[in-house]
Amino acid sequence: MKEIRKDVVVVGGGPSGLAATAKLAELGYDVALVESGDELGGILIQCIHDGFGTKLFGKALSGPEFAGNFIEKVRGLGTDTFLQTHVTSVERRDGHWILEAVSPKEVIKFISKAIVYATGCRERTPFEILLGGTRPAGVYTAGMVQRLVNLYGVLPGKRVLIVGGGDVGMIVARHLYLEGVEDLLVVFPEPWFVGLPRNVQQCILDFGIQFRPRTIVKEIVGKEKVKGAILVKVDENWRPIKGTEEFYPCDSVVFSVGLVPNASKLEELGADIDPRTRGPVVNEYFETTLKGVFAVGNLLTPFDYVDDAVETAFIAAEGVSKFLNNEPKREKPLPIRPGRKVRLYIPHRIEWLQGRDLTLFFRPSVEEANAKISLKLGDLEVYYTRRPYVRPSLLERIVLPRDRIGEKDGEVVLDVE
Amino acid sequence: MLNKVICVRCPRSCVISVLIEEDTIKSIEGYGCRLGLEYAKEEITNPKRTVCSTVRIIGGRYPRLPVRTSEPVPKEKIKEVINQLKGLTVKAPVRRGDVILRNVVGTGADIIAEMDVEETS
Repeated sequence: MKEIRKDVVVVGGGPSGLAATAKLAELGYDVALVESGDELGGILIQCIHDGFGTKLFGKALSGPEFAGNFIEKVRGLGTDTFLQTHVTSVERRDGHWILEAVSPKEVIKFISKAIVYATGCRERTPFEILLGGTRPAGVYTAGMVQRLVNLYGVLPGKRVLIVGGGDVGMIVARHLYLEGVEDLLVVFPEPWFVGLPRNVQQCILDFGIQFRPRTIVKEIVGKEKVKGAILVKVDENWRPIKGTEEFYPCDSVVFSVGLVPNASKLEELGADIDPRTRGPVVNEYFETTLKGVFAVGNLLTPFDYVDDAVETAFIAAEGVSKFLNNEPKREKPLPIRPGRKVRLYIPHRIEWLQGRDLTLFFRPSVEEANAKISLKLGDLEVYYTRRPYVRPSLLERIVLPRDRIGEKDGEVVLDVE
Repeated sequence: MLNKVICVRCPRSCVISVLIEEDTIKSIEGYGCRLGLEYAKEEITNPKRTVCSTVRIIGGRYPRLPVRTSEPVPKEKIKEVINQLKGLTVKAPVRRGDVILRNVVGTGADIIAEMDVEETS
């Protein structure tokens, strides 16, 4: 078995893994990037629409272009990248992390001081939304359709039902429409699309694509191939309204019903998992509860903007540096807790004594105009900021100046007022 | 007349208010960046979109090459742009940013490749 010693191993070659790798290499660390797939770039390779990178590059790039920038950067830095290399086991031994990986060529044992996990998300399946009916051919996830259409030029069908009113569903609807599937219907249980307004305008309204709010799929119909679906209206609590069932004939059904962090490997390793995000519990530099193991990007929680996901990778790279330099941590981490109007948030604790200001991301559980976002330490309000509008479909980003916390103890409560 | 425009230049989706009096723009408010300012002006006077699609590629890893217009094109030309791409075939290798088709359907925008595609043997 080939042995490779590194300061850091980054697992996952999507945008966040690439960004972490680039930053670590720039900081002077010897880093290896391990990707199980055939190519770098992750899911961005199939996201051929524009709108990525305005924050980082000041222009609206497509997914492959955004990824391309980082791939070039990583190659330019001369970093060792391992494609088609799958990490099979990870363990801690003698103060090091040992990662065993296999590729079609060889078995490699990486010995490293720290690990950055950047394994992203997976798509939720029809099973997870408790869908009834048969399982014929013609049922897809949105990501699969994106891949088929954008990389292979294959359309899923002629009459397509899209389930889910989020960004991915809308974007897939537009692609299908433009590539020639004009018989489209988008259904979702909410009263209105839950994705970004830009996508409602640019993907749905621009082309007059049909959609039905407060509607779900009760059952898929068809034995060998999809023949249609039974749609049913729902009330405000998403409960089906009896007597509103309707058979909708179609030849394929595309599910775009949310993303879940790929955190099972970290969980097996013993990392704490946050039941809200379903990703790992992390400190302000996105270090998990395992010493020297960091998590970045959509593995933390699905981000709305790739720029934000990439920012977590940059921050984590600085954290790796602090970890490798044995910089002092607090005796007891300062926990961050959610208030009543916070659905999910990262990070979960403040651990280092010194360092950069704290970047927090969270999703509110309510819609509110002129919202005040506050952080309280006991009775003391240590920071607040205002937003013209907050809502659950928009991930908020705030920065808490570190000196507001200092070496104080207690717990920080994040809330919306 | 006050017009609300949702900026689509980036996912931030700024809601921009454009005040129009006597056919001239009097004020533009609520944009988050220079792109947003430009977009609001355009969306009121001449709505445009960047068109993203694919063309056939021979000798690459995948049968399709993702492409887009080098700049936004008039909204009503979207379908024409897509149709123009249908018969197009390119050969690997291709570099990101390479021009695949100049001045697509007379819009002044080029069709450019979105990614590097190596030649696979």
